[in-house]
Amino acid sequence: MSSTAMAPPVAAAPEPAAQARRPVLCVRGLHKSFRKREVLRGIDWDVPAGRVIGLLGRNGAGKTTLLRCLLGLSPIDAGTVELFGEAMAEPGGERLHRIGFVPQTFDLFPWMKVRAYLDFTAAFYARWNHALAARLLADWQLDPKQKIGELSQGQRQKLAIVRAIAPEPDLLVLDEPVASLDPQARRAFMAELLELMRAPGKTVIFSTHITADLERADADIALLRDGAIVFTRPLGELRERMKRVVLARAQGWTQAPAVAGLLKATLKGPEAQLLVEDPQPDSLQALAEREGAALRIEQPTLEDLFVELA
Amino acid sequence: MRAIWQLWLLPLRHAPLAAALLQSIWLAGAVALGSVPWTGEAAAWMAAMLIGAGIWLWSMLLGMDLRGVCQPDSLLLPGFRRRLAGIGLLHLLQWVLLPTALGLLLGVPHALLAGALLLLLGAFGLASGSERYLNLLVWALFVLAGWKPGLAVQVARALAASPWAVPLALLLAVLLLRLALRNLLHVEDREIDSSPLENTQLGRSRLRGADGAPARRGAVGKRILKVFDATAQYAMAQALARWRARPSAQRRMVLVRRLLLPHDNPQAIALRLVLVAVLVSFYVVVAMHRQHFNAAAVGAYAILLGLTRFPRLGQGMRRMRPNLADLYLTLAPATRADYQKTLTDALLVLVPITVLTTVAYTALGIVFTHAAAPWRMLLDALLVGTGASLVALAVHLIGPEGRLGRAVVDIAVTLGAMATYWGGYWLLGVLGYAIGGAALALVTLGFGIAVWLGAQREYQRRTPCFDAPLE
Repeated sequence: MSSTAMAPPVAAAPEPAAQARRPVLCVRGLHKSFRKREVLRGIDWDVPAGRVIGLLGRNGAGKTTLLRCLLGLSPIDAGTVELFGEAMAEPGGERLHRIGFVPQTFDLFPWMKVRAYLDFTAAFYARWNHALAARLLADWQLDPKQKIGELSQGQRQKLAIVRAIAPEPDLLVLDEPVASLDPQARRAFMAELLELMRAPGKTVIFSTHITADLERADADIALLRDGAIVFTRPLGELRERMKRVVLARAQGWTQAPAVAGLLKATLKGPEAQLLVEDPQPDSLQALAEREGAALRIEQPTLEDLFVELA
Repeated sequence: MRAIWQLWLLPLRHAPLAAALLQSIWLAGAVALGSVPWTGEAAAWMAAMLIGAGIWLWSMLLGMDLRGVCQPDSLLLPGFRRRLAGIGLLHLLQWVLLPTALGLLLGVPHALLAGALLLLLGAFGLASGSERYLNLLVWALFVLAGWKPGLAVQVARALAASPWAVPLALLLAVLLLRLALRNLLHVEDREIDSSPLENTQLGRSRLRGADGAPARRGAVGKRILKVFDATAQYAMAQALARWRARPSAQRRMVLVRRLLLPHDNPQAIALRLVLVAVLVSFYVVVAMHRQHFNAAAVGAYAILLGLTRFPRLGQGMRRMRPNLADLYLTLAPATRADYQKTLTDALLVLVPITVLTTVAYTALGIVFTHAAAPWRMLLDALLVGTGASLVALAVHLIGPEGRLGRAVVDIAVTLGAMATYWGGYWLLGVLGYAIGGAALALVTLGFGIAVWLGAQREYQRRTPCFDAPLE
């Protein structure tokens, strides 16, 4: 027998460091619907400067919609979005040039050649790292004379990344940027991303399903579920505080045992697998003895956490 | 059976008005055929004409839709080819077998030959719907008939009397069907997408298939597109070089235009005019050498050709929405209205381009028709072309999003512009160049500018949209 039970969402933990810094992004009560389907239901979210934020959520959770709303590419129904301390009611001129964006689908200009497209874009930017763009084109084997329409999906994704990184933006927003990349390109991209992050005040928000990349970037994890940001926490803190508690006994379980900090319980054969925040080993040990079960406390991977919480 | 039904419904979904009309034509043809015992041979002729035209156009519509459906992925569906055969059989039954059987039952003369010709027309329609170059065959027939009309009539009569006519028609139909099926079931790479606002077409033909994919081009079409593309790349490089040398608002606008309207650079415009001149010369000299055209009608046709650009613009702007998100971030406008204004300012260049094109087409028409009042036609084209272009740009920019609404707007603007051209031609003739010209300018330019300013305000008021259109 296997059953699952969801505990209430995790409350967002106060983050003193974030309070001390002015957030790059501040969202309050953001609502967005498509026709009658409400996708975002009152998002409240602060993103501090100088962090890499991994936005996690299941397919259809609204990650793409949220990112597009943040940049003013999709109108919002209610709420406010502040970027760099100013409301996004209007794009605000040069503020947009402080943002790099890699969309999920690469609807660039298929009739343009790679070189012409980058030259065109660079012409409008006061800051454009030509050397970086040239190096990335060479490293990622993008032919400047090729038409964008002739590029494969992965190559288009690389080009979109080059275009987003070359202006050395203060905020980089990436919507599943590595979905079509091969492992080499993915690693190279992550290396570039980390290099970019070395400069002070740079912030990255990226949605992805590849949790290994978030671990490599030591990202803060923001979880989008049911149209709301359930929590934003540093990865280290998540690892430290979230544990999988396994209670096993021969006769199995008819219901999940009551445990303080329980987030989700799964009953599987003789085992009760509990995802617990800040587990208390002593009280768990006492519970195991009371129930005649063997106790095991494990460290879940980020992917496990995502599967359990998303 | 459900899959076959869905395939049969394709033309109704794609072009409901045309499909309903063609089904009504079939019904009218069947009624005419059924009334032969009472009304005589004239009704049989009427039925043959109606059903013949109906099967040709319906098959063409079906061919266009099947071209969109027959993608490599669809060919992997279980029983896909069998279902295609099913729709073919249904088509054959409705348009060929039933009318032929009815004709034979009623003792209509040449019923069997008519049936074979219906099959031939259906096969031709299907083939030309999936491969547009086959329409050139009709041209070839017109050219031949135009050279020797007497001979053409004799050949037609001899064929009708010959016992070989039916087998010959059936053989040709089979060959065309084979060609159509080969094209439909042939797996090939998709064409590279071009700018939705591109302007490499010379007539009113479609740029995209029913599925929204770029229309397939033949070898000559691909070569011409390459030349257009070369001019676009050169124009962009020039614009970038000028911008780098001395950035200015004007040069920034040129850059945006080179991106949005890649084929509206001076070289491409000149190339388009030359190609149209060549085609028109061929058409007039070879195909229609025996006919005499009314100069004013040719002038109105030039207006119609000039305005063909704008429906594509409206459709293209919708298709380009996701691409424009990148341009939005690149331009970094201070306000959304600024961004919208940049777009309208960039697109306004289409007005002088359209006027230039229309005047050039009119001049070409003047030469070929030996028009008696060339200056009158040119002035008329200049004034009406300007006003109509402003109106067309305005309504296609802010007009309805639905296909039907767009079609209605297109027809209204085109017919309105043609009617205005004829009115203007008459006015210039009655009141003279000075007074007539001033009156015409007041009406056309006044109306055009007023509509454009209103549309521009409305467009700037709207929030930019970067979501892909749902249709």
